[in-house]
Amino acid sequence: MAFIKTHSAQSISEDERKQPRNCENLEAELDNPNPTTRRWAARDLVDCPKASVALVSHLEQEEDVSVREVILTSLTTLGDEVAVAGLVNCLSSEGVALRNEAIEAMKQLPDEVAPIMRKLLADANPDVRIFAVNILESLRHPDVEAWLIEVIENDPHLNVCATAVDLLGEVGSFAAKEPLLRLKARYFEEPYIQFAADLALKIINED
Amino acid sequence: MKRILIVDDAATVRMYHRNILETAGYAVEEAVNGIEALEKSLQQSFDLFVVDINMPKLDGYGFLRELRSQDVAQAPAIMVSTEAESNDHIRAYAAGANVYMVKPVKPDQLLINVKLLIGEACL
Repeated sequence: MAFIKTHSAQSISEDERKQPRNCENLEAELDNPNPTTRRWAARDLVDCPKASVALVSHLEQEEDVSVREVILTSLTTLGDEVAVAGLVNCLSSEGVALRNEAIEAMKQLPDEVAPIMRKLLADANPDVRIFAVNILESLRHPDVEAWLIEVIENDPHLNVCATAVDLLGEVGSFAAKEPLLRLKARYFEEPYIQFAADLALKIINED
Repeated sequence: MKRILIVDDAATVRMYHRNILETAGYAVEEAVNGIEALEKSLQQSFDLFVVDINMPKLDGYGFLRELRSQDVAQAPAIMVSTEAESNDHIRAYAAGANVYMVKPVKPDQLLINVKLLIGEACL
């Protein structure tokens, strides 16, 4: 087993540098049948300023988790408009793993994601709005509380509001108090909203 | 006392489910993702799992598929998700769930399903 591992490691290293590392070749290697080659290509494409298009178009079809992780890391590092738009598209994907990976990647891009957050929170698909709230969880941005309050005041979908209330329990201040009380009144027959809003209010009052 | 493992990355949801289940007399353990749930379920015995779908590291499908492939006593599972408009319920059953519920669950509905799956009630 040890021999195989050593041999494999050598192959990776040799494979990696066999081809000239120009951007065009690297993009082509994203279609290589060998996941190791794809992984190296995805990693090295981070140095190609226009690589987001190729990385994004490859992301949804990539089945190897380790390659996908590297693609997402490169997209996060590139962080340009195309990269962010590609990550946003993943939020509508049927693949749970890809969606979650995209959410985690977007949490790392507060400055790039912030300008489109309002649009995400207004998406026609309630699932996308829920994922947008999930992104807010770790998005260190001064508007997070204001966005969450806007959600619980205006969003017509119960689960979007429920997800926002969970987070307001963590980041909410006195400003969230009245909106939480209004939400409780709006969903007076929903036990979860009553529970989560009461919990958030308790935490806010303690602070 | 019957033992239930709640698997959810949202702390408020875990507290809500725990509150319902403990009030009804069940012993409750928690896990924050599929990896932690798998570790706990391979080390301890549970009578039921209440599992969220969307979780980081290992989602609910992955957890159930992995659990069902293990040579251990298999407890029934309720899968819960916020996504009412997707095909999640089909994938939940394919992964090994016994019941699929849309969040937020109502306490009485959760308890009916729990009792049915644990064998404390009949249709």
